[in-house]
Amino acid sequence: MLNKVLIALGKSISKTSQLLNRGNGSTWPGHVALTGNKNFIKQILAKSKTKVIIVAGTNGKTTTASLIRTGLEKNGFSVLQNDSGANLLNGIASTILLNVNAAGKLKQEYAILEVDEGTLPLILKQITPDYLVLLNLFRDQLDRYGELNTIVNKWLETVETLSERTTLVLNANDPQIAYLGLKRKNTKYFGLETIKGTKDHPQHAADSILCLRCNKRLTFSEVYFSHIGNWHCENCLLKRPAIDVSIFPESSLKGTYNKFNLLAATLVLRELKLTEGQIGKSLEEFKPAFGRQETINYKGKSVQIFLTKNPTSFNQSYVTIKDLRAKVLLVVLNDRVPDGHDVSWIWDVDLPELEKFKHILVAGDRVYDMALRFKYDNYQDVEAFEKLDEAIEAGIKYIDEEETLYILPTYSAMLETRKILTGKKIL
Amino acid sequence: MKNISHFSSLNFHLRIGWMFPQIMSTYGDRGNIIVLQRRCEWRGIEVETLRITEHTSDKEIASVDLLFGGGAQDREQEVAMEHLMSKKQPIKKLIENDVPALFVCGSPQLMGNYFEPTKGRKIEGLGIFDIYSKSPEPDEQRLIGNLVAEIIVENIKTKPYVIDPSPLLVGFENHGGRTYIQSNAKPLAKVIKGNGNNGKDGTEGVVYKNALGTYLHGPLLPKNPGLADWLIAKALEVKYKKKINLEPLDDTLEEKAKTAIARRLGVQV
Repeated sequence: MLNKVLIALGKSISKTSQLLNRGNGSTWPGHVALTGNKNFIKQILAKSKTKVIIVAGTNGKTTTASLIRTGLEKNGFSVLQNDSGANLLNGIASTILLNVNAAGKLKQEYAILEVDEGTLPLILKQITPDYLVLLNLFRDQLDRYGELNTIVNKWLETVETLSERTTLVLNANDPQIAYLGLKRKNTKYFGLETIKGTKDHPQHAADSILCLRCNKRLTFSEVYFSHIGNWHCENCLLKRPAIDVSIFPESSLKGTYNKFNLLAATLVLRELKLTEGQIGKSLEEFKPAFGRQETINYKGKSVQIFLTKNPTSFNQSYVTIKDLRAKVLLVVLNDRVPDGHDVSWIWDVDLPELEKFKHILVAGDRVYDMALRFKYDNYQDVEAFEKLDEAIEAGIKYIDEEETLYILPTYSAMLETRKILTGKKIL
Repeated sequence: MKNISHFSSLNFHLRIGWMFPQIMSTYGDRGNIIVLQRRCEWRGIEVETLRITEHTSDKEIASVDLLFGGGAQDREQEVAMEHLMSKKQPIKKLIENDVPALFVCGSPQLMGNYFEPTKGRKIEGLGIFDIYSKSPEPDEQRLIGNLVAEIIVENIKTKPYVIDPSPLLVGFENHGGRTYIQSNAKPLAKVIKGNGNNGKDGTEGVVYKNALGTYLHGPLLPKNPGLADWLIAKALEVKYKKKINLEPLDDTLEEKAKTAIARRLGVQV
């Protein structure tokens, strides 16, 4: 009975907030529901037949969740997915609340929930997922999450108490993710098989370089990016586990990091009994989620946005646009709550071959910090703009019709950029 | 950027020592090395960086003209301390010989008398700074955010080292530990906005001889070019045994980045 009242209340809050045009009210109804009943999520899910897939990790959550959703929907299943802006407890409660029917049950066959890495332990107290997909852990927003090791320790504790029923889907190439499944039966690994087999070094921004079992430095025979690679410990002989899925379907998604998102999604879809043909066909038309390699036509010119949140995603975006022969680059660095207040990480990124750019522009709350980053890599002609719209206009003028303006924004900067490019507000 | 010819002709050469970069580099600490290198190169001073590891010999460490240390994560701090202890003598000798040094983020804690990684555990530090660091009390928060402080060490503020002496120090702090200065060391700066060494006594950082420590983490020097130049000038002075006047550089962007943060925190510049 209590839940019915909370659902009615939550739905009316959502409607009112939409009418007042205050975003889509994506987290308020959940806040109200959890205040009224802290076991709201647990109870609704217990009543529903919906299978739950949780996706967590520093980078790639939204893309992986969207890939799984696309694979399932194209093959005739009904799916519920939360917005990337609603990946904390309130947001997930809201997503569930707004989708229940009159009987207080979810009607979808699958719920795919992307969950913030700090919130995961709390969520797993409420939800026992059928699949828990853990993608990677990189340094990100230390001011909000604390040190990376704090998160690794919390995840270790959480996984130890996880039901055997949950299938753990892990990245074999991230040492601290792979370690989570070593003592557990119901675990599947995705990853890339090594081609090189020589000694290799993690990138400067790499994190997981000490063995979780014995605290000695790990050795890599191949590094794909950051600390993601074929690793082993020469001291205690711990090594990358055997990989269950290392082949993924063709896709328009660019960059090594997306190979891992595709691998994770492929593994889950295979577990859900889709055939290779079904998976390949459904994912080939996959359209990126907003702001993630999304291309927007603006004033007759092409603009592509690569959401860039931390050193690893910056490095990967940078390598990808270099492969696309980018000539004009705009980096937008904000330091608001969703971006993290600390912008120190820009000094952990690697910027090879800057001289190949015709123009580099910077904007955002921390425009001068970003300008200094380029200046000190000897790109003296970096152009700094205090206003984002002026930076975009300048960037557009610099490109020819067949060229693309590449924009690397942090999260809140991505929302602002899209607003300017599409003329509308999202979220 | 122009190369200043009369400078290159002097054939100045500096070797920067970077302590254990593989584990003591939590968040953009490398920015300091990049800034020191460029500000030397742009003036025609030859510069190289020695990455100090557990395999570096004492003799190589003794050849360092300017020492830098970044922060380690908690799990890595004890491993870092083991490495540091194995190089205690050559590192202390550098500092006693007036070689300038900069320790940012958590590394000043490792350079003190002792620190507590967790409540009740005490680990001996290198004993360079007369300070000790305690882990926070259960009711105490991590100290996180932008910080503006005023440098109060006269020798850093005055010419000839700093071309445009700006006494403001601007950066980002993120630490659980609380550091207290004892009699044989002095604070580097007085907090204007932010928390500083312990959130209580209004001090930030520590100075002993030409070694500076600060909780400000990551890229301290990009926004504090005056401090970078002080370190470079001091390193040259100690190495070549004469006063050095550094050629000025165009620091317009650096000043804009610095004043943007100071103004945001309500500090008039």
